[in-house]
Amino acid sequence: MGNPNVGKSAIFSRLTGSHVVVSNYSGTTVEYTSGKLKLENVTAEIVDVPGTFALEPTNRAEAVASEMLESGDTIISVLNATQLERSLYLALQLLQTGKPVIMALNMWDEAQEKEITIDIGKLEQLTGVPVVPTCALSGEGILMLKNRIPEARNGEFKQEDSASLMQRSSAISSSVQKMHGNKTSVREKLDHATVHPVFGPLLALFVLFLSFAVVAFLGDFLHEILKGVFELVWMPVAVWVSGLMGGEGLLHKIFIGELIAGSINFEESFGLLTTGLYIPLAVVLPYIFCFYLTLSLLEDIGYLPRLGVVVDAFMQRLGIHGLSVVPMMLGIGCNVPGVMAGRMLETRKERFIVATLIAIVVPCMAQQAMVIGLLGQAGVAGLAIVYGTLFLLWILLGMLMNLFLKGESTEMLIDLPPYRFPYWESLIKKIYMRMNGFIRHALPYVLLGVFAVNLLYTLGFIGYISSVFAPVITGLFGLPGEAGGALIIGFLRKDVAVGMLAPLGLELNQLIVASVVLMVYFPCIATFVVLFKEIGLWDLFKLSVIMILVVISTGSGLHLILQSTGF
Amino acid sequence: MYKSLLELDLKEEAEIISFEGGTILNRRLEGMGIRQGKKILRISSQYIRGPVIVSVDGHQTAMGRGMASKLIVKPAEKNGI
Repeated sequence: MGNPNVGKSAIFSRLTGSHVVVSNYSGTTVEYTSGKLKLENVTAEIVDVPGTFALEPTNRAEAVASEMLESGDTIISVLNATQLERSLYLALQLLQTGKPVIMALNMWDEAQEKEITIDIGKLEQLTGVPVVPTCALSGEGILMLKNRIPEARNGEFKQEDSASLMQRSSAISSSVQKMHGNKTSVREKLDHATVHPVFGPLLALFVLFLSFAVVAFLGDFLHEILKGVFELVWMPVAVWVSGLMGGEGLLHKIFIGELIAGSINFEESFGLLTTGLYIPLAVVLPYIFCFYLTLSLLEDIGYLPRLGVVVDAFMQRLGIHGLSVVPMMLGIGCNVPGVMAGRMLETRKERFIVATLIAIVVPCMAQQAMVIGLLGQAGVAGLAIVYGTLFLLWILLGMLMNLFLKGESTEMLIDLPPYRFPYWESLIKKIYMRMNGFIRHALPYVLLGVFAVNLLYTLGFIGYISSVFAPVITGLFGLPGEAGGALIIGFLRKDVAVGMLAPLGLELNQLIVASVVLMVYFPCIATFVVLFKEIGLWDLFKLSVIMILVVISTGSGLHLILQSTGF
Repeated sequence: MYKSLLELDLKEEAEIISFEGGTILNRRLEGMGIRQGKKILRISSQYIRGPVIVSVDGHQTAMGRGMASKLIVKPAEKNGI
C-alpha cells in the first residue's frame, strides 16, 4: 500500500512477475490485482491495491484500498523516497493497524539524483520495521525486499490522532533525511512551460494533433504492409480451403464467405478464415498498436495529468473536471478500461457523465480503424464530418447533462508527477500487455461476430430484424435495410459491424451516417457489462434512453443535412 | 496578513494557516502533504477559471479554484516592509 504514483504496481509486477499496467500518474490502478510470490517455504498471495493518501477513502478506488487492507496479513508499505514526509504519514497509519509492516523506499534512484540522502538504519530504528530502498522500474532492491518480507513486524506505535501522526512523520523525516541540491533543473523549466496559461493549451493541441497523426498515418502504413502480407501469404491458403469446400454451401459460407466476382475478398467475403481474421489482425491491430504506443508514451512521461490541468476549465462546463481526460483517452483505446477508470471521480454525477460520454461519443480504436479504412478511401472530408459530429455531440451532451442532472461536481485535486524518461523495458511490456489483451479478448469475439453474421443471415433473422427496423433505418437515416444487420452485430463487436457495411456499396453520405450511427449507438456487450458494474442498473437505463435519443436525432439530422447540401 | 491561496501572487511564497473546507477534503489535502505550517508556492494558474498549481515540499499539486479560495495562507514577510 502507499500514496498514489509511488510505484506500487511496479513493485508488485517485479515481485510476482505478473503483468499490471504501470504509468506515471496517480490513479492508474483502480481495482486490486493479486499475484503469487514464492518465499522460502511458503507461497504468499500479494495484492496490488489502488493508491491512497489516507485510510479513510475519498473515492471508489481508495475504498477498494481500505477494503483490501482489512483482509491482508502483512503490509508492504511503499514510500516515495523523494516525498518522505507525506509517504510516512500514510506508513505510520498503516503501522497503527497492528499488522506486520515492511517498508519499500521506492524511487531511490530519483532521490539520489535530487541529492536527497536518507539514513535507512535510523529510519528502521524510529519506525521499528524493516526498510528496503528500491527502484522498481529498474528492479534494484527488489530481491532484498523479497528476502526481507518475512522480517516484517509490528511497529510499536500507540493509537494517535492525525495531528500528532503528522508531527511525528515530519519529525522522523527531518531527522533521517538530508537534502543537498536545490537547483532548478531543465526538466522543471519544461514542466512549467507545459502548464503555462498560454503555451500549455497550445502544446496540448499540438500533442493531441500529433497523437492523432501518428495513429492515422503510421496506422495506415502498417495496415498496408499487413494487407500485403495477407494477400501474399494467407490468400493461397484461403483459396485452397475454398476449393476444398467446393466454392459454395453453408460450410463455405461460414469459413470463407461469399466469393466477390468469383474470388475471395478479405474485406467483403465475410467468412471466419477471410474477413474474420483480416479485420482484427490486418485492419484493427496496426491502429491499436499505434494508439497504445502513443498513449503509453504520454502516460509514462507524465503528461496526462498536465493535459487534465490545461483542459480543466473547459471540461468543467461539461460537469466534470480535467482529470476526466484520462478515462476518455483510455476509452479511445477500448471503452472497457475507460469506463473503469471513471472510478477516480468522486461523485455519482461525474461518474455518470463520464460513462455516458465514453459509451456514446467516444468510439473505440477497433471501430475507428474500420471507419478510417472505409471512409478514408474517399478522402478526408468524410472523416472530418464524422469526427466533427462526434466532437459537437460530446460538448452538447456534456453541457446538457451538466445542466439537467442533479448532484454535485467536484474540482480537480491531483499531484503533478515529475516528468520522467520512460523506461523502455516497462514501456514495451505495457504496450505488449495491451496488444496481447486485445488479441486475447477481441479476436474470439470478432470470430464469434462473423460466425453470427453468417448464421443469422442464413436463418433469415437479420432480414427479419432489418424489415422491422426499416422505418428507422431507411426512413430516418436513409440507409438500405441491410444496414440493420450491422446494428445487431454491433452489440457483439463494433469493428465487425462496420465491416458489414463494406459489401453494401453505400454512397459516401450514407457511409458517413452509418459510421456515426454505429459509433454512437449501443456499445459492445463487454462495455455494457462493465457499465452495469460501474454505474448500476438505474443509471444504465438512463444512459440507454439518452443514447437512443441521441442516435435517432443525430442519425436523422445528419442524413437531412447531408442530403440537403447535396454531399 | 492572511489571504486565500487564490489571492496569492504568482511565485509568491506563503505559509499554510488553515483550510476552511470540508473535513474529507481537508484530510485528503493533509495526506497529500498540504497542511498547516507548510511553505507553499504558487507556480501557475490557468485562464478562464482553470486550476491553480502550487508547490509544497518539492512536489506539485493542481487544485481547483474553489479549493484554492478556501486555503488560507500567510504570505512570507518581504524585506523592507
